[in-house]
Amino acid sequence: MLEQSSQVKWPFNEGSANLARAVAGLAAGNAVFPAATDTAVLSSAEMLPVLPALAGLLPGGGLGRGSVVAVEQPGLLGLALLAEASAAGGWCGVAGVPDLGVVAAAGMRAEASRLMLVPEPGPNWAQVVASMLEACEVVLVRPPEPPSAPVRRRLEGVLRRGGGVLIAAGAWDGAPVRLRVTQRSWAGIGDGYGRLRGCRAEVVAEGRGAAARPRRQWLWLPGPDGSVTVDETAAARSAAPAWATGGVDPQAGAALAQLTPALAGVAQ
Amino acid sequence: MSPGRPARILAVWCPDWPEETADRQDARAFEPVVAAVTGFCPVVEVVRPGLCVLNARGPARYFGGEEALASKIVAAVAARGVGGHVGVADGQFAAALAARAAAPDHAAMVVPLGGTRAFLAPYPVHILAAPAPAGLTSSWLALAGQLVRLGIRTVGDFAALPSRDVASRFGAAGSAAQRIARGAEGRRPATGTVPADLSVSMEFDPPVPAEPVVFAAKNLADQLLAGLAARGLSCVRIRVEVTPAPDPARFGSAAPDRAAPDRTTARLWRHDGLLSALAIAQRVRWQLDGTQASAGQEGQGDREADGTTAAEGGIARLRLVPDQLIRAEGQQLALWGDDLVRDRVERAAVRLQAMLGHESVTHPMLAGGRGPGDRVVLVPFGDVREARRPAGRPWPAGIPPPAPATVYPAPIPARVIDASGAPVTVSGRAVVSASPDALAVEAGGAGGAGRTGGTSGAGPWLAITAWAGPWPVTERWWDSGQASRRARFQLVTGDGIGWLAAVEQSRWQIEARYD
Repeated sequence: MLEQSSQVKWPFNEGSANLARAVAGLAAGNAVFPAATDTAVLSSAEMLPVLPALAGLLPGGGLGRGSVVAVEQPGLLGLALLAEASAAGGWCGVAGVPDLGVVAAAGMRAEASRLMLVPEPGPNWAQVVASMLEACEVVLVRPPEPPSAPVRRRLEGVLRRGGGVLIAAGAWDGAPVRLRVTQRSWAGIGDGYGRLRGCRAEVVAEGRGAAARPRRQWLWLPGPDGSVTVDETAAARSAAPAWATGGVDPQAGAALAQLTPALAGVAQ
Repeated sequence: MSPGRPARILAVWCPDWPEETADRQDARAFEPVVAAVTGFCPVVEVVRPGLCVLNARGPARYFGGEEALASKIVAAVAARGVGGHVGVADGQFAAALAARAAAPDHAAMVVPLGGTRAFLAPYPVHILAAPAPAGLTSSWLALAGQLVRLGIRTVGDFAALPSRDVASRFGAAGSAAQRIARGAEGRRPATGTVPADLSVSMEFDPPVPAEPVVFAAKNLADQLLAGLAARGLSCVRIRVEVTPAPDPARFGSAAPDRAAPDRTTARLWRHDGLLSALAIAQRVRWQLDGTQASAGQEGQGDREADGTTAAEGGIARLRLVPDQLIRAEGQQLALWGDDLVRDRVERAAVRLQAMLGHESVTHPMLAGGRGPGDRVVLVPFGDVREARRPAGRPWPAGIPPPAPATVYPAPIPARVIDASGAPVTVSGRAVVSASPDALAVEAGGAGGAGRTGGTSGAGPWLAITAWAGPWPVTERWWDSGQASRRARFQLVTGDGIGWLAAVEQSRWQIEARYD
């Protein structure tokens, strides 16, 4: 335990990774130290936790510290990526997303009180993101313009030093992992009746290195209660289900029967 | 101290301070007297500038009796160049009176133990209004007036009244006044001192631009923190006062100091014992940047003529004042846990707020409401606010879960048409004119890659594959400013995106997006 802790710098200004490593090292070596503090939950030195449904898509089963994860849009997928880290006690920052659906994030167990929002970071957004990365484990950013190579390099340097994770919405050349939704279809809504209950979405992860081989996963994004889970039924179905092109999911027919007939009547 | 033993109080009264006009300046000027008295007894209560009291029993034993102590204190005060008189008696009121009685013939007057009642007896009864607790002087004066009308003219007469009758006729205030009249005042001197002036300042002659000021601020902050630490104090906030150089072109060079109005800018910065000297210097820089920016904007019109600005004039004086002194209890950072993390986050937030403005860094608070935008309140980081619409209450006709991932701060105009190309409308009875067939969202907010700039215009038509609604909502009809009457729809377009749309006064808007 002593050698472990002697390697660890006192983490006042060193960012969260060292803190988490210090906790991990000490907790592993000495059971006296409580492992149940907020940060200790994030004790895995190299990975931040993600929702179990997303673990299969990411190399290593989590968000690699110091790395960039690119998503097409900051929508539900971006929020889902940071939800579990937030639920585990981490701080999450969101920059450049004035239309963030905080309630949706909270529905995936993200803790709203540990969110730091900068809706309009302005032209100096890279500096803002760098500052946020010093405080937050995960930062979701939608850059106002496609980031230039020097800006990307600078932020990647900040990431490597601090050990945070940057979720970049939009183009980010050279991101080790890129996630995108290829198809989605909503269940529970018909032609004038029902309501949006859940969305089956196929998420594809591509990238470099460990993520070079594309991985696909059908997810409930979101499920009926706002959570994100693996769509178990998709594996049993054929590769391209008929409903996936849009329209009403026939499997949701049972659910439709429960829906309010009065509203459907009004609509007609 | 046992109840039977009256308090022996020593009062130091300096006639140089008029009783009525006590203010902070007087308090500062009185400080040398207090310091001299503190040499004899560390616990000195400053009643007001010009009068301080201490418990005489202990020091009197040490310095060889009350007379000796009194004469020593008079000498010590005189050594500071202040005329002071000392009185010793049972109780603070009598001691102050004894000090006044000593003046001007004698330096000190000691009322012997148990002789206080006799000492007070000849005084007119009105004098009892003086020791009234703060805010009760008028009622005690009224009490004295009643006593005079009852024929009780001296303190001695009042003291001689049976205490039970006084209590039943005059209540608690009468009893307290009678205890004082009998020389049995219960109150002990309170500890504490007038805080010394811990502010630090630096004059710049000739005035200098901002950069050296920030440099000097670091040194000043070091001094300030050292001064605080030497007294075991910390402060909640720091006031930074920046005085720009007087503008010679405007006020003339004859008497610039007299003519120039005070253009000092002061701003309070939160400290909480957390800021290092460097961090304070940084806040000075922020303040200088801020004031120069605003001076540049405000002064543009009227200063163009002489071609100078406050920034060019330089800064003549910088002063750091600790605000709200508190006892320094040390900042023990939590070993590992929320406090340390929180601290780190707050520092980052403060830095961002300095860069972007206080309102630009927020943290969300969940609230209650029907619309998707109502359910979150963005609170500037560092502020504490109560939710006006608390979450966790039933909100009938609210948007059912799952919640949309994109909630537009302001709804985006849209158009919805039916199969024939006519706009879809909703009647007052919530009947849809036709099945919606296609949706066009105004570009700018809902384009594929997010914000596409300031250009706004109708986006492409998206085929609607599924829809539900309308769900009429009438909110706050009692408040004409906030009333809204709308019908909400959920739409799914061909690309699999869900939309939360609302029709209000035949206008379609997109409130949120399920993506």
